[in-house]
Amino acid sequence: MKSHLLHLLLYATLVSAFFGLWLRRGPRAQLQRGAWIWVAMVGGTLALAAAMYPFPR
Amino acid sequence: MAIELLGAWLVPGLGHWLLGERARAGAFAAIVYASFGLGLAHDGAVALHNPQQPVLSALQLVANVGVGLPDLAARWAVYGELAYRLPRDPARPAYRERLQILRQRARSGVSSYGTAYLWTAGLMNLLLLFDVWDGRRERGGRS
Repeated sequence: MKSHLLHLLLYATLVSAFFGLWLRRGPRAQLQRGAWIWVAMVGGTLALAAAMYPFPR
Repeated sequence: MAIELLGAWLVPGLGHWLLGERARAGAFAAIVYASFGLGLAHDGAVALHNPQQPVLSALQLVANVGVGLPDLAARWAVYGELAYRLPRDPARPAYRERLQILRQRARSGVSSYGTAYLWTAGLMNLLLLFDVWDGRRERGGRS
């Protein structure tokens, strides 16, 4: 699999699931924290990519 | 406590299982093994200590070894032996063989993804050791 986007989504899912479980107790709190981390990772990466778009190599 | 910590390092999820947190143990094991499996499937670099880059390669090695027993299997599968270092002397056959394997995997085009997954699996498992440590202390265990 060579898609950057799919790897971003997959990696963010693994990491956010891990930290959601690791940092919080209880399914609701874990889900909230995991979702927050996932959005931060994916959203942050896409925002950075958009910011870099006008400056190609 | 030492048994739980050793078990948690060697087998991802085992530490939480021994503490009675079966659901969390299963979830953590699934996540760590998924990351590790994706790393191997994407030709991730199984790090060797390189005397020419001692600090950086040592950190990479720690990230790999952090996953415990699965790292042994990965080294056996990739190098055909439990290789942990690149020989200092480039004239040694082991130096050329191991370097060739590393370069061959790097040429696959997805190796950087695989390396990230492998490191992540090891580092997540090391973080779980802190959780097991805390969990054991909360239950009144002695260190």
